[in-house]
Amino acid sequence: MRAYILKRIGLGLVVVLGVVLVTFVIARLVPGDPAVAWVGLHATPREIQQARHTLGLDRPLYAQIVTYVKGVASGNWGTSIHTKRPVLSDIGSRAAASLELVVTAMLLALALGIPLGLVSARWHGRLPDLLVRLGAVVGVSMPTFWMAMILQLVFFQRLGLLPVAGEYDPSVAYLNPLVLYTHVPVIDALLNGNWPMLQSSLTHLVMPAVVVAAYPMAVIARMVRASILDSLGEDHIRMVRALGFSERAVFGRFALKSTLNPVLAVTALVFAYSLASTFLVEAIFDWPGLGMYAADSIRSLDTPAIIGVTLLVALVYVGSNLIVDIAQAIIDPRIRLN
Amino acid sequence: MLGIRTRFLALAFAVLMLFVLSNCGSTSKLAQVQNETFTYAANVEIMPGGWDPSTDYSSELIAMAQMYEGLTRYNAVDKKVEPLLAESFDSSNGGKQWTFTLRSGVKFHTGRPLTALAAKAAIERTIKLGQGAAYIWDPVKSIDTPDAHTLVFHLKYAAPLDLIASAGYASWIFDTKAAGSGDLGKWFAAGRDAGTGPYTVDTWQPGQEVQVTLKAFPGYWGGWSGTRYQRVVFRYVPAATTTVQLLKAGDVNAEMQLTPQLWASFQNDPNFLTTSTPSYYNFFAMLNTQRAPLSDVRVRQAIAYGINYDGIVAVLKGNAVKSSGIVPAGLFGHFDDLPNYTYDPTKAEALLREAGYGPGGKNIKLVLTYEQGDNFEAMTSAVIKSSLAPLNIDVGVRPLQWSVLWAKTQASDLSQRQDIAIYGWYPDYPDPASWFVNLFETQNPPVYNATYYSNQTVDRMIGEAMKLTASDRPKAETQYRDIQVKLLQDVPAVPLVGMVYQRVLPRSVSGFQDDPAYPDVVFVYQLTPVK
Repeated sequence: MRAYILKRIGLGLVVVLGVVLVTFVIARLVPGDPAVAWVGLHATPREIQQARHTLGLDRPLYAQIVTYVKGVASGNWGTSIHTKRPVLSDIGSRAAASLELVVTAMLLALALGIPLGLVSARWHGRLPDLLVRLGAVVGVSMPTFWMAMILQLVFFQRLGLLPVAGEYDPSVAYLNPLVLYTHVPVIDALLNGNWPMLQSSLTHLVMPAVVVAAYPMAVIARMVRASILDSLGEDHIRMVRALGFSERAVFGRFALKSTLNPVLAVTALVFAYSLASTFLVEAIFDWPGLGMYAADSIRSLDTPAIIGVTLLVALVYVGSNLIVDIAQAIIDPRIRLN
Repeated sequence: MLGIRTRFLALAFAVLMLFVLSNCGSTSKLAQVQNETFTYAANVEIMPGGWDPSTDYSSELIAMAQMYEGLTRYNAVDKKVEPLLAESFDSSNGGKQWTFTLRSGVKFHTGRPLTALAAKAAIERTIKLGQGAAYIWDPVKSIDTPDAHTLVFHLKYAAPLDLIASAGYASWIFDTKAAGSGDLGKWFAAGRDAGTGPYTVDTWQPGQEVQVTLKAFPGYWGGWSGTRYQRVVFRYVPAATTTVQLLKAGDVNAEMQLTPQLWASFQNDPNFLTTSTPSYYNFFAMLNTQRAPLSDVRVRQAIAYGINYDGIVAVLKGNAVKSSGIVPAGLFGHFDDLPNYTYDPTKAEALLREAGYGPGGKNIKLVLTYEQGDNFEAMTSAVIKSSLAPLNIDVGVRPLQWSVLWAKTQASDLSQRQDIAIYGWYPDYPDPASWFVNLFETQNPPVYNATYYSNQTVDRMIGEAMKLTASDRPKAETQYRDIQVKLLQDVPAVPLVGMVYQRVLPRSVSGFQDDPAYPDVVFVYQLTPVK
C-alpha cells in the first residue's frame, strides 16, 4: 500500500511539473509583454526594461522555469502583476470562498443525486424515472448563468426568501464582527457562536451552491441509475432476490454498492474542475472565489497568477484522484492497489 | 423515547427558531447602520494597485478620493479649479512660479497637522518614486516653504500647476511620517491611509466581495455638521444584472457602470435618480498615416466622411455623444462649432474616386484593432466596418488584449502595425494638452501616437498652447481651437464619440454631482442620506 501511494505521488508530481512547464511556455508565447502591464501606461522604455529585469523576463526561458519551480517548492509562487501581491497569498484568500462553495455544492450533489438515481432505477421506465431523467438533462444542459439568474429572479425578486448575492450582509457583519479563523464565513460564524452571521452566510450560500451542484447532481443521478440497472442483471443480485430480500434492500444495500466507485471518481473530477471553472456563478453571485481570480488574471495577462491557478488546479486534480483511488480500494476489495 | 426522525425534526425547528430570534433584536440597529452606510458597487477590483497614494494609478481612485485630498479640485460644472487643501493659489513669472497658501487646522488621519513642509515631503516622495502618474509633476524644479502654510513651486517651464494639483492620481497630500522610522511603502501596503480626507480606512479584505470599508474621520477639517454618511463600503460586484438587483433591494447606493439598457430600465422608476453626464473619455479611429492608402489625406478624409456617427450613437443607446473636435465637452478647449465631419457617403465616394479608389475602383483592405472585452469599442468598430463596406473599403476587425494592441502599434516591423486602431482617451488631470501631447505630437519611437502623424507646425502649436495654459487661459483656448482645425483638415485620427456617464442612485441619496474629472468617483462626504 505504502509503495503504491508513494508511486502515485511521484507520478502525480510528474504530471504537475508537466502542467507547469506547458503553462509556462504557453504563457510566454502569448503576444503581449507582462512588463508593460507591471509598470503601467506612462512608463518609459527604460522603466519597462527595468521591469523586465525585475520580473526576470530578460533571462532565458529555461532559467525562468528553473527559478519558478524552485520558488514553488519553497512557497514562492511569484508576484501577481495585477494585484502586486504574492500569488500564493492571493490564491489563499480566494480558495476559502471557492472551497466553501464547491464543497457545499458537492455535498448537495451527493445528498440529492444518489437518492434520485436510486428512485429512477427503482421505478425504471415509469413516471419517477422520467422526471429524474428529465431533471438530469436540464441540470446538465442548462447554462449556469441562466439558472443563476432564474433563481435570483424567483427566490430574491419575487419571493424575497434569499439574498441576491455576496457571502454575507455587510451591515450584519458590521454589527456582529467575525473573528476569522478559516476565512470560511459559515465555519467562522459557528466557531464564534455568531448566530446572525451564521444565518446571513448560510442564506447567502444557498443559491450559488444549488447552481454549482446542478451539473454534478445530474451526472451522479444518471450514473447511479445506470450502474444500478447494470448490476440488476448480475448474478449476485439474482442471488439476493432468490434469498428473499425486499426490493428496498436489493436496491438500497446491494445494487447501490456497485455505484459507489464511479460516483467517487466523478465527484473527484468535478470537484477539481469546479474550483476554477465556476467563475460565471461567482460573477453573478458576487462570490470572491478562485474562478473570478483566474478570469481577472487571464484578462490582464497576469502570467504568474495564471500559472499559479493552473498549478493549484493540477494539484487538486492529482490529489483528489489519489484519494479516490485509495478510497475505492478500501471500499471495493476487488481493486488491488498494486 | 423520541424516534430518530422526530428528534431530527425537533433539532431542525430549534435551529430555525434560533435564527429567527437572533435576528429580532438587531433589526432596528441593522436599519440604522444601513442608513448611515453608503455602499458603492464597483465592477472592478477596488484597490488593484495597493494603497500607496504616490503610485496608485487605477480604480483605487474611487476609494482614495474619500481618504485623500489634493491642493485643489477641478469643478467640471463651471470649468474652474477650486481650492481644497490650498485656500488660495496664484501664478507668476509667466506660469513658471506658483504659490499655494495652505488651509489652517487640517490634520492628517495620523493626528499630525498639515504643514507646508509635510505637503512638500508628500509631493517630493511621489516625484522620487516616479511611478503611476508621477509624471504630472515633471515641470517642478524645486519647492520652497517660506512659512508653515505657504508652498512655492519653481517650475522648469510654464505649466498649469493648479490643474496638475487637482489630478485624481499622484496629487494626494499625505503624512510621509506615518510609518515612523519604518518603510512607508510597506506601511501603506498593509491597507493603511495617511490622508486628510473625510474618511479613513476601517477594514480591507483583498480579494473579498466587501473589499474596503471606510469610516468617518472625526477630526476632518470640514466638520461633520448635518446629516452625512458615517461609513463607506466598497463591494466588488462584477455582474451588472446582480448590481441591478442589489440596487433595487437597497443593498447598494451607487453603481457607476451599468449598461445603457440596464440604466434605461431605471428611468421610469420613481425610487431612483438617473443621471447622464458627458465624460472626458472620448474615442478616436487612429489612422496609420505612414502606410498607403491612408498616407493619402483624401482617403483619410473619405473615411471620416464615410463613418456613420449617428449609427454609433444609436447602437450605444445613449451611452455616447458625437465628438466635436479632439477635446471633449465640459473641458476648456472644447468647441461645438469646429469644422467636424458628418456622415456623407457621397463626399466620401468622390474623395475616394479622386484618389483612385471607391466603388468600382481599387479595393481598400484595412486592419482595425480595438481592445478586447470593451463592448463600447466593439460596437463602434462594427459600425465603422459596416459603414465603410459600401465604399469598397473592407475593414478586418481584430479585437486584441490592450498590451498586445499597444505592442502592435509600436512594432518595429512596420508591416506588423495596424491600419486603424480604436483608442479611448481621458486625461489624468483636466488639461486638453493630454490629448495633443500623447496622441498627435511627433513621437519617435511611437508611444501612444498610433497615427504616426508628425507635423512640426502642430508640435510647435501644442508647445505654445501648453505654455499659455499656465499664463493666459483664454489665449490657450484659441490656440487649442486652431490646433483642432488643423488636425481636422489633416485627419490623422477621426474623432468618433465621447462616452456619457449614465448613473443610477436611489432617491434616498441626495446631493450627487457627477464630476468627469474624477471618473466614477462619488464624493460621499457631499451626500446626504434621506430617510
